[in-house]
Amino acid sequence: MSAPLDPASVKLAIETGGVAFRSPVLTASGTFGYGREFEGLTDLRALGGLVTKGISPAPRFGNATPRICETAAGMLNSIGLENVGVEGFERDKLPYLRQCGTRVLVNFFGATFDEYIACGAGLDRLDGVDALEMNVSCPNIKAGGIEFGTDPRVLADLVRACRAVVKKPLWIKLTPNTSDIVALARACADGGADGLSIINTITGMAIDARTRRPKIATIFGGLSGPAIKPIALRMVYQVHRAGVPLPISGIGGIQDATDAIEFFLAGATTVQVGTQSFVDPDASGHIVRDLQARLAADGISDVRELVGALRV
Amino acid sequence: MRYFQAKVAENRVLGGGYFVLRLAGCASLSAAKPGQFVMIRGAWGRDPLLPRAFSLLSVAPAAGTADVLAKTVGRGTALLERSLPGAEVDVLGPLGTSFPTPDASCIDLLVAGGVGLPPLYMQGELAAAQKLAGRSELVYGGRGAPDLVLLREMENMGLALHLTTEDGSVGMKGLVTRALEARLDTHRGKRVRVMGCGPNAMLWAVARLAREREVPCFISLEEQMACGIGVCLGCAIPARSRPYRYVCSNGPVFDAADVLDVNPTSSAGPPPPSECPA
Repeated sequence: MSAPLDPASVKLAIETGGVAFRSPVLTASGTFGYGREFEGLTDLRALGGLVTKGISPAPRFGNATPRICETAAGMLNSIGLENVGVEGFERDKLPYLRQCGTRVLVNFFGATFDEYIACGAGLDRLDGVDALEMNVSCPNIKAGGIEFGTDPRVLADLVRACRAVVKKPLWIKLTPNTSDIVALARACADGGADGLSIINTITGMAIDARTRRPKIATIFGGLSGPAIKPIALRMVYQVHRAGVPLPISGIGGIQDATDAIEFFLAGATTVQVGTQSFVDPDASGHIVRDLQARLAADGISDVRELVGALRV
Repeated sequence: MRYFQAKVAENRVLGGGYFVLRLAGCASLSAAKPGQFVMIRGAWGRDPLLPRAFSLLSVAPAAGTADVLAKTVGRGTALLERSLPGAEVDVLGPLGTSFPTPDASCIDLLVAGGVGLPPLYMQGELAAAQKLAGRSELVYGGRGAPDLVLLREMENMGLALHLTTEDGSVGMKGLVTRALEARLDTHRGKRVRVMGCGPNAMLWAVARLAREREVPCFISLEEQMACGIGVCLGCAIPARSRPYRYVCSNGPVFDAADVLDVNPTSSAGPPPPSECPA
């Protein structure tokens, strides 16, 4: 271990996936609203960036309730991708985000290829949006409800189609509900993506033994929180080790600076704090501050030294 | 609304699984109004993960303390029940909407079911502080005697108490709506407002009764929530004014006329689930 450094001299800034970030700590889609909800609770300017709630071409009202339940060291959700739609986002949410002082990545999705393309194109023209993150964990209605993001050929075609209309950096948020994360990551590279976000929630369920009913209305939901961190680390590492030529934003159960460092070691260039923002609305701020202190104490002058530095 | 650390100053066990936590270091909750709530989490490590929502029972601005009433129902409340003076807790609040302020021209019927007491207790305190306790009555129901707590404190406020228990051990035997009906009969022709908090089934029954009597009704609803600030969107409830409203950010206190007709058990029903999980 090198000699300790002055925390102020530690470089957290990183340019990755087509975006220059002040720090490698972002907040994950669906856990940070449209940013404004956290005003006064965390300093957005200390963040590397925020990823908005997923946007669809038209507003969506979401699923029936109950929509969430707590599980061991985690939670299940089935919100149903409720959002304000592209127009509502531009009119009601973007003006605040333009002046919030951090990078803005807009997560988006569609129910069909055409919807994905329309949504991507609609968001691409907006000033104040630094990059787009495509959620491919949606069921493909035309293909019998199979997620777009689980078939490498479909995924490559979808990425290519969106790439053709999106000039801004385009990241793809991969689903972990697959047996071959590397094949999906390669499909994104083949389709012309600029970055990967790994992972989205893991499909799970919870049952109330007393009432004999599922704990959430849609029966299945997405598992998040510290319970999924080992799976997320494994998938980030697999994609990194395979040499897929795209930077990775690591997501899954990150609660503190140590968790973030583990993701960097596995190969992530940025991390996204998700469910922990529900536990502590200033979680991302804590992680940025602690990360700087940890790196300084360990004599690491640049966070990039950690990326992929796992010893095996 | 602020996110801060507080300390347990006192943990008063009331029996029946009920306890009152007095939290020190809560000066930023001083201006909280009856109906508003806080998210509370102890130093629980990674599990249980999420903070718990509690309606405030009382705040003491001079002492900088805040009280919450809880009943042990799961892991989080069990941990809080065992918390000792000095234990640190994270607090986010005050959050959400509140009940209408006491009004000398109205009779307020405060309807509480079991652990739904806190916002109505606090409303009673506010009425007493404004010398309007005589215009408020508490209609309070539970399964049995252990479910009716803090009775002496509320008598001392000067509130008239109308108690019901399902087992008949205290007060009128039956559901709280029976006692509410009797109070509505008594006050027929006067300006009456109903304010309720308790199990959702009770609240819908209270709201129906108020609607039949053409009396304004405000209810404090409960739903699973992760964040308390309108981000997780877990606490959605079907509403008339919009497909969904949020208990944390549009509530927890709602005008019952907005949320009554489209509750999940009514004929109108909630919007159908969409196809996209997570």
